[in-house]
Amino acid sequence: MFETALTTRDLWFLAQGAGITILVTAISVVIGTILGILFGVIRVQLGPILSAPLTFVLDIFRSVPLLIQLVLTNAFVGIVLQWQISGFTVACAVLSLYTSAYCAEIVRGGIDAVPQTTRRAARSLGMTWAQDMVYIVTPLATRVALPSWIGLALGVMKDSALVYVVQVTELLKSTQILITRLQEPLFLLLICGAFYFIISFPLARLGGYLERRWSND
Amino acid sequence: MKTLTLIAAATALTGLAGIAQADKLDDIIASGTLRCAVVLDFPPMGMRDENNEPIGFDVDYCKDLAAALGVDAEIVETPFPERIPALMSNRVDVGVASTSDTLERAKTVGFSVPYFAFEMAVTANNSTGIDSFEAMKGFTVGAVAGTYEAIALEEYVNQWGEGSTFRPYQTQADVFLALSQGQLDATVSTSTVAQANVQSGNFGDISVVGFAPFDTDYVALFTRRDEYGFLNYLDLFVSQQVRTGRYAELYEKWVGGELPDLTIPGVYR
Repeated sequence: MFETALTTRDLWFLAQGAGITILVTAISVVIGTILGILFGVIRVQLGPILSAPLTFVLDIFRSVPLLIQLVLTNAFVGIVLQWQISGFTVACAVLSLYTSAYCAEIVRGGIDAVPQTTRRAARSLGMTWAQDMVYIVTPLATRVALPSWIGLALGVMKDSALVYVVQVTELLKSTQILITRLQEPLFLLLICGAFYFIISFPLARLGGYLERRWSND
Repeated sequence: MKTLTLIAAATALTGLAGIAQADKLDDIIASGTLRCAVVLDFPPMGMRDENNEPIGFDVDYCKDLAAALGVDAEIVETPFPERIPALMSNRVDVGVASTSDTLERAKTVGFSVPYFAFEMAVTANNSTGIDSFEAMKGFTVGAVAGTYEAIALEEYVNQWGEGSTFRPYQTQADVFLALSQGQLDATVSTSTVAQANVQSGNFGDISVVGFAPFDTDYVALFTRRDEYGFLNYLDLFVSQQVRTGRYAELYEKWVGGELPDLTIPGVYR
């Protein structure tokens, strides 16, 4: 029952796929978060009417399925722009914007959660807008936003499985390659799932740890 | 020196005319890499070895083409439906992907002359003494239900009349299992599948005894349809592969058996 044609070389092949998954996720989450903070702050500062164009663009990234975004961007870059850039770059760019659209909402929610009275008090004490943002809003908003952000990061990691459509051989694609060769789909998917778990578990635990550490009650 | 001056003059003239544009062939040679679309879940044309590296007839064919151009080969794995989109979005330079040269596809991409042909081969259980397609008359034959070869074979069986029986099966593996167990006397399948199953040794005393007189599935290399320079090169390359014996060598290496003829009797290409 436990006989398998899987070799250690195949496991290494899967580990390389997992490495690509981690790399794509890390790049996308870092760039996406930086852009997301920027977009979130802009949306709060400009108000709903002035920031409507930005909101509209971010809504597109949130509502069009990632798979379609990847395929269309890849085709656009290749056919219309005629750029010779790798599928990896396309994948990271699309996934970063996708992450930033969600992150902007999380940031906006976090900033909105800081009581207006607290912020007015800061400004009354003579703090500038920047000081208010750095010393008052950031510490309070981060605590509110962290759980959602961890959820977003884990979500992006799993969504990165879709980048196979732009010829990036990440974990799930590596698994499919092995399934084609070895014809042991259930066993291989089990191993693939275990790899995903090994990657996401530490991140989820880190989130839990930070939440406990930062809570004052 | 005279030649140099001539070339310089010619270059200057074309430059003035504003038509000095590099085509695909120049681009590939300049980039140093030939990117081939290859289907890797279609043994023995494209598959992966135990190190998960691409191997197969199409993979070797791509490497030969790259070597002829003096560049490195890059195998881009494309599933069947992705072959032409990969070319159109400029992810690959050429398709070496067992692609049938249909007129419908030729509206989108440009095809070379056929570089491979999937012929329908007759595989028989050796104990029956069947040695050709015609010799199957009066025996029990079968194929995978719904496939092109099954439909054609059933028509022949109906013509042959009494004694001959046709049996459809669900999968190719079922057909060969039935053949090895003696439930079937012979079957018709694509030659590559037939050779792969005979060579696997899993199906006992069976062998490929000949070709069936059904339409051959010719497959060709493809690239962008407006790249005449490259298409011309591909045609010549296919021809060179055949006349140098490399085609036969690769066929023996990956498929084995009687070499399919790439020319179509009675017409130019």
